Amino acid sequence: MDLNPKYLYIFFQTLSLQRQMMENLIIAKARQDALQRKMEERRLRLQEEANRRFAASGTINGEEQEQRVLYTNILEYEQDHDWPKLWKAKLKKNPDDATLVTGLVSCLLSCPDHPVIKLLKRLQYRVYNRLYPIVSKSLPASPALPMKPSRSTQSLLISDSHQNVSKSGTGHSLSSDASLNISSSHDHNANEAELDSDGPHTLDRENLFEDMEQFLTQMDRDPSHRDPDMIFEPSQLDQEFLVQDLEMHALKKHLKAIVKDIHIAIDQLLSLCLLSFECLNTANSKDLCVASIEEAFFTPIWSPLLTLFRKVHRERELSFESSMRLYQDASPGDVGVASKLYPQDHVVLHGSYPYESAVQELRLLCRDCCPQKKLECIVRTLRLICACAEDYCCLHEADSKTAAIGADDLLPILSYVALHCELPQLVSECAALEEFIHEGYLIGEEGYCLTSMQSALQYVESLHTGGFQLHNTKSA
Amino acid sequence: MATGGGAGNKTYSFKVVLLGEGCVGKTSLVLRYCENKFNDKHITTLQASFLTKKLNITGKRASFLTKKLNITGKRVNLAIWDTAGQERFHALGPIYYRDSNGAILVYDITDEDSFQKVKNWVKELRKMLGNEICLCIVGNKVDLEKERHVSVEEAEGYAESVGAKHYHTSAKLNKGIEELFLDLCKRMMETAQAEERAKGNGASQSTTSRRGVQIVDDDPQAATAAGGCCSSA
Repeated sequence: MDLNPKYLYIFFQTLSLQRQMMENLIIAKARQDALQRKMEERRLRLQEEANRRFAASGTINGEEQEQRVLYTNILEYEQDHDWPKLWKAKLKKNPDDATLVTGLVSCLLSCPDHPVIKLLKRLQYRVYNRLYPIVSKSLPASPALPMKPSRSTQSLLISDSHQNVSKSGTGHSLSSDASLNISSSHDHNANEAELDSDGPHTLDRENLFEDMEQFLTQMDRDPSHRDPDMIFEPSQLDQEFLVQDLEMHALKKHLKAIVKDIHIAIDQLLSLCLLSFECLNTANSKDLCVASIEEAFFTPIWSPLLTLFRKVHRERELSFESSMRLYQDASPGDVGVASKLYPQDHVVLHGSYPYESAVQELRLLCRDCCPQKKLECIVRTLRLICACAEDYCCLHEADSKTAAIGADDLLPILSYVALHCELPQLVSECAALEEFIHEGYLIGEEGYCLTSMQSALQYVESLHTGGFQLHNTKSA
Repeated sequence: MATGGGAGNKTYSFKVVLLGEGCVGKTSLVLRYCENKFNDKHITTLQASFLTKKLNITGKRASFLTKKLNITGKRVNLAIWDTAGQERFHALGPIYYRDSNGAILVYDITDEDSFQKVKNWVKELRKMLGNEICLCIVGNKVDLEKERHVSVEEAEGYAESVGAKHYHTSAKLNKGIEELFLDLCKRMMETAQAEERAKGNGASQSTTSRRGVQIVDDDPQAATAAGGCCSSA
């Protein structure tokens, strides 16, 4: 057979091509190995760096271990991405520039791969996962206590595109995600970890039974608990009472644990954030940083969180509602507002009611999803009250001698405004604010406004019992 | 010139709660104190002002006032919390006075009843907050001396017996008010300093103590503003 040199040529060509390809493959493999080795080396190096950083404290506990891992991740991230360096350089030039600080933090929050944000998501899932079983159970409300579905429960059902990020309304995928994540993140307390997966009725089973026993023995001893008319079915009644009581007890415990968890989560996030951007570690930048982290953290979980608060404060909300209905048409004078502080003449009001602007403002409180924003809303409400009061005062006295609104005047007006707001959930919102507002704010104007709001709400709650005398005009 | 360097570079923040019956004049008392000095060297603000501008509201408020002071080189931020005097709001007192460093209990010297109310408040405050809170008992309206119904001896004797200080004031005539607040600030500073010392050499700043005495670092701007009066020219 004769070999056509042309074919031979092609054959050799193919062969050499194949060899080249093989070589290429081998080179590629070698390169990949080298890269892998380098990556591993880098990881180890960074790990060492992280270890050095945390070396000061001798013993290593789980928390520190986790911190090290997270810090390693940050270092790794920063080698792969340039933006952190750029921001750091910018901040170094103007360390006190608040817009730079907020810019950096919002940039950070928009990077889903950054370890800080990964941690944020994980912690959020964890909280959500603990809330979900209780909150979802709350939807078919218990028969004896009808309650208007709140904005919050609604938004849990119907994905509210306005306030909730893609996460809300997809409880199931969240829960499964979360359970995956939980295994990787360590828990502060073994007991709490148990709660993560359990529903409310299986909460802390042993304690519950202990409490139950206590209740039972207490009731045996104390005959006043037994209604003589119900002598035939005492056990059933007792049991109903017991179940309700135990459920509330469990809910409160759960709420407390979740509140604590959230505080820990935010602290953790802040410290990781400061670890990755040391330039943020000044008093002012830190405050801005906390504010942004909180906003990001609370926004998707506020509605289920509030639902839990509402379950715990149901009695108070019901009182508020009763007062609300009773005082629907009450004038400011009926709740003790001095007559010079509101116009009696309906013409002056142009068809509205006194302090309407403050009522409108306060209603907006439920729209925000972050404690700080809500607090600002309360502050604005109080300012509006003062502005209205001054306007009304000027109507009464032509010489426009302005009135100073002291607490004697403020609280009755605030109570009137709260009544007209017609939002019983304010009670729970404020209770939640009380838990999540920083101590630093509590001494200042924000704290004063929140305290006044709480007082007014408590007063409104007590109104329907008639315990307070009305038309108390002994005010300066 | 850097005034007040070193250890003096601290700001004390104190919360003072204002208690008293409805018409004893506690609101005008504090308003007089905070407003009168408005054009003086001391910076006095209705805390409202900065946000007020933003909202374009000119409401005059006297329920929450702040005052910045400089006492023996130390900066003091005073937050004064007014409370409602009406009986029906009394149940709500505790949430107002928690974490207070000082309390000003005002009565009307022409109204025996208002003095009795002060006694009730003292009892409650001591019970709830212990001896750490600085108490001031204030007999207001001394311009109405002729109609006095609470004798000076009785009031001062009572104050001494409960570890409080007694003052006579007139919001109308602006009498005794400056002394009252200055004195109270000094006492609260002493208490805070004693507390710091009691904490001992623990150099770490555990600022969020239960009583809410916050020691914040001065912001550099404020420091230069205060010290810059005779430097650049």
